Amino acid sequence: MMKQILSVSWISLRSLPQRLWLSLATILTIAVVVAVLLAFLAMSNGFRKTLEGTGSDDVALILRGGASTELNSVLSREDQAVLETAAGIAKNNGEPMISGELYVVVNGTKKTSGTKVNLPLRGLSEQGIAMRGPVTISQGRLFVPGRNELVVGRALLGEFDGFDLNSTVRFGATDWDIVGVFETGGTVFESELWSDLAGVQNQFNRGSSVQSVRAKLTSPDAIEDLKDFAENDPRLGVDVISEKDYFKEQSQSTSDLILVLGWPLAIAMGLGALAGALNTIYTSVAARARDIATLRAIGFSSLSAFFGTLSESLALSVLGGLLGAAVAWSFFDGLSTSTLGGGFTQVVFSFQLGGALLVQGAILALGIGLVGGFFPAIRAARLPVAMAFSDR
Amino acid sequence: MTHGTLIWKNLTRYRLRFFLTTFAIFIAFFLFGILQSFDKALDAGAELAADDRLVVSNRINFTQPLPIAYVDRIRSMDGVLHATHQSWIGSYYQEPRNFIFGFAVDPESFMTVYQDDIVLPAEQIAAFIKNRRGVLVGADTAGTYGWALGDLVPISSNIWQQADGSKVWDVVIEGIFQSSRDELPANGLYMHYDYLNEARTFGKDFTGTVALTTTDPTLNDQVAQAIDFRFQNSAYATETRTEAAFNRSFVDQLGNIGLIISSVVGAALFTILIIVGNTMALSIRERTSEIGVMKALGFRASTVFSMVLGEAFGLAFFGGLIGTITAWGLVEIARNIPGFPFVLGFPTSVWLQAFGLMVVLGVLTGLFPAWNAYRLKLSTAFARV
Repeated sequence: MMKQILSVSWISLRSLPQRLWLSLATILTIAVVVAVLLAFLAMSNGFRKTLEGTGSDDVALILRGGASTELNSVLSREDQAVLETAAGIAKNNGEPMISGELYVVVNGTKKTSGTKVNLPLRGLSEQGIAMRGPVTISQGRLFVPGRNELVVGRALLGEFDGFDLNSTVRFGATDWDIVGVFETGGTVFESELWSDLAGVQNQFNRGSSVQSVRAKLTSPDAIEDLKDFAENDPRLGVDVISEKDYFKEQSQSTSDLILVLGWPLAIAMGLGALAGALNTIYTSVAARARDIATLRAIGFSSLSAFFGTLSESLALSVLGGLLGAAVAWSFFDGLSTSTLGGGFTQVVFSFQLGGALLVQGAILALGIGLVGGFFPAIRAARLPVAMAFSDR
Repeated sequence: MTHGTLIWKNLTRYRLRFFLTTFAIFIAFFLFGILQSFDKALDAGAELAADDRLVVSNRINFTQPLPIAYVDRIRSMDGVLHATHQSWIGSYYQEPRNFIFGFAVDPESFMTVYQDDIVLPAEQIAAFIKNRRGVLVGADTAGTYGWALGDLVPISSNIWQQADGSKVWDVVIEGIFQSSRDELPANGLYMHYDYLNEARTFGKDFTGTVALTTTDPTLNDQVAQAIDFRFQNSAYATETRTEAAFNRSFVDQLGNIGLIISSVVGAALFTILIIVGNTMALSIRERTSEIGVMKALGFRASTVFSMVLGEAFGLAFFGGLIGTITAWGLVEIARNIPGFPFVLGFPTSVWLQAFGLMVVLGVLTGLFPAWNAYRLKLSTAFARV
């Protein structure tokens, strides 16, 4: 039986070139559908990975209660003083490892579209920089406090105009020099501008207030101690969250939205491609009707006729899927872009195709191939044997 | 039998094939209609903006504040008719997820500048202006939370805080407004700037943006430049744009959505072009001898040509119309869902584009087979039997 199926499949596959254009069209349509799906999946995946790769679980982020993002939060000098005495915070030479930070939004220009977008300027201390894992200055140098100097993240520099190394940018009535480029290993922080906290407080009229406080924890579990402390101190009205969870939460809505748009679009287009595939395979069955009937007449089973036809459809969908994946891989994988993140500023990320996504693309392609072959295959299996002896 | 019936009979000869091809076209035009409508929805903020209104924001970024004193200084400038200002309050009701587009405004000048946009009875406007804790809410917002005129409602802000540490501001619903344009939802909340400003702990005497009307829309550029020039050397340099450009800048933040939409639509249309083109070519090839017979019977070559082209057009328009009408129907249903987050519409331009695409599809898929049929020699036609 297996042998029969294989040989009938072989015959029908060998006849593919006879319907070259129709077969190519089917391959191409499946390829387009798979490429569109993979583009959306890679976009969603890339955004999620960038945000989930940011932040560590032994750093606590402290915001004013209910603020939910750094942009909306304000913490006074008094709040910061209380937090310095909090439980669970690691110490360096007896000093608590804590970083008060400002997060102000400034304009930049997106290179690809020329449109004006929001970019974050973060005021922080060296302590704060040290809390962001390995930070390297790849060009120039770090800012010097008190001098209105900025360093620019590698991703921001690549995606936006207006912040080139050694250039000057004007905020209000003050000029800022861009003195260096920093890298943080592809995290969200590379989409930021950094300067010294006191300078930003001064130039943006923030007095001694900050927007967020980061605290290095003695261990990831110590966040519970810090939360207890914050809840029980009547002077504080703050929310404590691990830095890792903060970015993870921010990734969810945007990456889900992209998925929610991508799959229905791909399925709708897939239905269109399915109609094309059905047309092709039905035509193939009609063209080979005599051959199939003849095979049946000389003793091949109807099951082999069924699988022979199905294999043609599957072959087309596999080829289409591979082509679509290749197109998506060469055009979209690694493509850098940006969108509005949870902090109301741009987050630079790149499209990331991976094994799990390719599997989803393969499922879509094979789904079209299976359904597109199944119904014509039934027709092939039911062809009357007598057809072999008819004239046409 | 007229040519039209003959075309139809030819189209529907293989019912399954006709159905499948129509379905593929249907899908493509359906996607086209939905995505174009969505694209237009993103532009709605810009397209529905008043053309004689300008928005002044901080040059650094619109989230940076402007001194409240700027309002009077702008008001006194040449070419400025009315000016008012708005501050984002980041408001929500009870839970952060019950988010409300809320602004603190100067009630009197706000009503002057936006009188054509929001509709409510004069006595409600008067009551709102009089009560320092009064607010205006959109009818949709009021409906969502079951608010009625005179209700005392606690509104929370995720930004501003009162001196006692409270983030809740008690306000009274003094007016419930409708939107003057059906396509815009009546949502949002407007409270008194003074009420917010006096109690808040930081950011006092600053505002978000200044909105102004000019005495003549042709003066817009001139007025905008004059304002920006006036403040250019202050610590709060300004950027003055038309309301449309200001609204547009929010959508631009999301990324190049227009490009994504046109890529998807392009991919979908390309797919059906291939499917339909091949199906047409196939069905004409299959009928080679038949076309030979028609010619032998005395049908002119030009008639045969137009009949094949007509078949392609018939296919494109049949599937295309069903697809576009379905998209239109779905958009109509969606926009009548209360609280639907997008300002969806199905403007005439989408219809026209869809018709244009149907014509293009018909030509591209029909021209080649029609030309083949036109050239077909009787000898070739019958040799192929």
